[in-house]
Amino acid sequence: MSITTKRGGDKQGIVESRTTAQIWGKSALLGVILLWCLFPFFWLIMTSLKIGDRALNSPDLFQGPFGLQNYEAVFAQDFHLNLRNSLAIAGTTTILCVVIGSIAAYALARLPLKRKILLLSAVLAVSLFPPVALVPPLYELWRSLGLLNTWEGLYIPYTSFTLPLTIFILTTFFAAIPKDLEEAARVDGATPFKAFYRVIFPLAAPGVFAAAIIIFVQAWNEFLLASTFAPRDPEIAQTVPVAIAAFTGAVPFQRPIGTITAACVVVTIPMIIVALVFQKRIVAGLTAGSVKG
Amino acid sequence: MSGLNNRARWVAVVGALSLGAVAACTPSGDEGGDGGGGELTWAIGGAEAQPGGIHQRIAEMWSEQNPDNPISIEVLPEAADQQREQQALELQAEGSGFDVLGMDVIWTGEYSENGWVESLEDVRDEIESVSLPGPFESAVWGGELWAAPYNSNAGFLFYRTDLVDQPPTTWEEMCQMATQIGQQEDIGGFVGQGARYEGFVVNWLEYYWSGGGELFNEDQSEVTFDTDTATQATEFMADANQSGCFAPGFNTAQEEEARNEFQSGNAVFMRNWPYAYDLIKDDQASPIREQFDIAPLPTFTGEGTISALGGFNNAVSAFSDNKEMAKEFVVWASTDEEVQTMMATEASLPPTRESVYQDLADDPVMSLLGEVLPDAKPRPPAPQWNAISVEMQRALFPAYNGEANIQDSVQTVDEFLQSTVE
Amino acid sequence: MARRRGLSETALARVFVSPSIILMALVAAFPVIYAFVLSLQAYTRRIGEGWAGIDNYVEALSDERFWTSLQFTFIFTITSVAAEFVIGLGFALLMNQAFRGRGVTRAAILVPWVIPTVIAAQMWFFMFNVTPGFINSVFGLGNFNWLGQSGWATFAVIFADVWKTAPFVALLLLAGLQTIPGDVYESARVDGAKMFQRFWHITMPLLKPAILVALLFRTVEALRVYDLPQVMTGGAFDTESLSILVQQYIVLTPDPGYGSALSTITFILILGIGMIFVTLLGRDLVIGGEEER
Repeated sequence: MSITTKRGGDKQGIVESRTTAQIWGKSALLGVILLWCLFPFFWLIMTSLKIGDRALNSPDLFQGPFGLQNYEAVFAQDFHLNLRNSLAIAGTTTILCVVIGSIAAYALARLPLKRKILLLSAVLAVSLFPPVALVPPLYELWRSLGLLNTWEGLYIPYTSFTLPLTIFILTTFFAAIPKDLEEAARVDGATPFKAFYRVIFPLAAPGVFAAAIIIFVQAWNEFLLASTFAPRDPEIAQTVPVAIAAFTGAVPFQRPIGTITAACVVVTIPMIIVALVFQKRIVAGLTAGSVKG
Repeated sequence: MSGLNNRARWVAVVGALSLGAVAACTPSGDEGGDGGGGELTWAIGGAEAQPGGIHQRIAEMWSEQNPDNPISIEVLPEAADQQREQQALELQAEGSGFDVLGMDVIWTGEYSENGWVESLEDVRDEIESVSLPGPFESAVWGGELWAAPYNSNAGFLFYRTDLVDQPPTTWEEMCQMATQIGQQEDIGGFVGQGARYEGFVVNWLEYYWSGGGELFNEDQSEVTFDTDTATQATEFMADANQSGCFAPGFNTAQEEEARNEFQSGNAVFMRNWPYAYDLIKDDQASPIREQFDIAPLPTFTGEGTISALGGFNNAVSAFSDNKEMAKEFVVWASTDEEVQTMMATEASLPPTRESVYQDLADDPVMSLLGEVLPDAKPRPPAPQWNAISVEMQRALFPAYNGEANIQDSVQTVDEFLQSTVE
Repeated sequence: MARRRGLSETALARVFVSPSIILMALVAAFPVIYAFVLSLQAYTRRIGEGWAGIDNYVEALSDERFWTSLQFTFIFTITSVAAEFVIGLGFALLMNQAFRGRGVTRAAILVPWVIPTVIAAQMWFFMFNVTPGFINSVFGLGNFNWLGQSGWATFAVIFADVWKTAPFVALLLLAGLQTIPGDVYESARVDGAKMFQRFWHITMPLLKPAILVALLFRTVEALRVYDLPQVMTGGAFDTESLSILVQQYIVLTPDPGYGSALSTITFILILGIGMIFVTLLGRDLVIGGEEER
């Protein structure tokens, strides 16, 4: 049997063919994919472990000297406070978006609402305006409301700008759930709310968790608003990307690639852990009846 | 998730909400003391503004000498454009958060036009009498002094002493040597700042000025752009790009790329700011650390030298609560001998006070700076400078890369310059 | 499905949707309207000069630079979204499988996407740039000037973007794959449908909503690309995107009127394209419940 192309075959589930060629082929494909995804990360790690100008700027990945100085430098700049800020802000954004977005998505997917397409378009439109043009008026507004340099000053606009994507994803997933399941629940006497909780939400879990990861990562990596509203002060609200962008070398002009890559590694590892945890949830077995596990 | 029973789910929800409630409260931090209470805030960025950097030490010196009016630094990012953005946000909102502003030399006209900075005419003589003329000129706009020169910068020609006996005095000579030696040694010829950004305009202007060209007259009321010289400069760059004089990667290089190439021994010549000198000398792993030296930039005529002027000035914010003390600070930072000398000896930042160069004439970098700075030309600190720079980049960058006609490009620049004085 | 107690369905729907609408309106609508009003005024640098009507728009649309950047933005969008879709679909199909080490593989695939964009951009600049020439030395390409020539500069930017965001597409498609019930495949297999037929006739149609959401959001994001070209090439060699142009007129050479006009034009353009997707999507999930199953 021929090896699957990148578009893959349709091997849903547990049945795996056993011809040797297939196993080798799949392993090779897997190897290529892992290399493609992880090699640049490996480069980041190697670069972050290098010290000294020449090592940092040489095309040879294994050129020493090596050391942990870059990591020390990163933490000497209160980076753990930036991590705390980013975690709180991105976390709050995710929770708010999922909660507010899922009820809106439920309404769009299930309940009668006039002019849904118009509503969807308006929802989409919100997130499309070039953010750089929105920054000056938002800055002024935030300044007068005293929201500069605060967590809420960031997670409120983040929620607002990420709601469209959330609503779209969740609406799609809610709508894909067969109506008869809900019917069955209501026949059993459940209120619409309970039907939502016990039937729809679990079945839409893959979509919900996918949306959650996406919201979290986008809020985490957001740079423009964060660098405008909270450009300094890790003790208060400066987030991780802003802090990294503000790293300087030892002298003017010098580009601190060592500390930047070290900070990136420090930041990516928890994200990978979050991704590992969440990916389980996305593909978690859903034992209820007819839905795939 | 159907494994979760009702209770577990409620726990999760409550937990999430509590996290939300806690997370929603920003930790209370110092809102950044404003000028209230006599404290000054200095908005300056870059490596030297970090704790341990020279600007911090200067701030501490001032605070010791002026305990009633201590100054603290609001650290801005390294990149000049980002510094300007952050200052602009505060100044447009007429905020009093910044008292002293660290300004790049090309922002003077813009800041003055927007009414963001206080005039320093009343302390002009004090400053003018001790400062180098080039840096001083960069702080003047419309005949008025708007900032106090603080530190400066000029371009050097770095060259390999093991490959070159005498540094070249003309650009053609340099290119000839670069191509020939480069081929012999199988390394690049000349590295500079050729990527499409402000640094490219700086490099191009050095070629243009060294051929005798000018941009504006004294008070920026007339355009004195010389299309012939401009064509000469651009053609020189285009030829150098083709012939191998310019090292590979010239057209994507900024300061750091050029430095790394030269520092690794991959180029014969480099045009860069003085900061590279110490970095190369201190780099144990560099193969050329004992085999390079600095010289004034060549010209087309072979006479004299012209380099572009960089550096920073300090200005007083028009919205400061404490303008008098801020003014005193900027004058002090500009004229005090100890401060200016410290910048040179402890941080390798070229000072603007003329006398320091005579005092430190033993140091090779300082002595070359002393030679080069009197002739260094500032880019016109006009409010339109950014727009002019962008136009020049867009017209001349493709021209030297062979993607646009040189005559037409030079013509475009001329027309744009004309439009700025109409 | 009439309710007998509580709010009517329509009212309930409105209640569900309103928090989202309110949040988005408050935070996003204000700056958008403000920017639009600005675009109708004339400015000389930062100084207001009164009413301009549509002059800014006329000027923007007759600026050759606008059209050049539009061209790059379109080329970038079409190419990168297509590549991301294909690769993302492949990843999703792979991640959907049960095999040893799948958790790690799924996390690994997400790594490119969680790295902050500014760092990824610097990393790819470092790799592609002829000095120090990492990619050149790995593939033995000598002094190939990737970022310094038209065409190849575009390629490098697209490559970096595909590397970075294919996982986002994969994530959405994976969640979509998870909601397809297994028994549909079973019955098809029993009926003798081959792998490719199952894929084409079952998987793809059922995945359509997720595909449309992924394409929608990737497209609007790609149309607004800023960080990658800005850091990798500064917009040189025809890699100037619309956002870079907008950014120039808001930040570097500020002209609030002209910058806002450019932003509004960009917005209308992106909204228009987004609407096409929304209409396609809307037909699927919002108009009643007649999904084919």
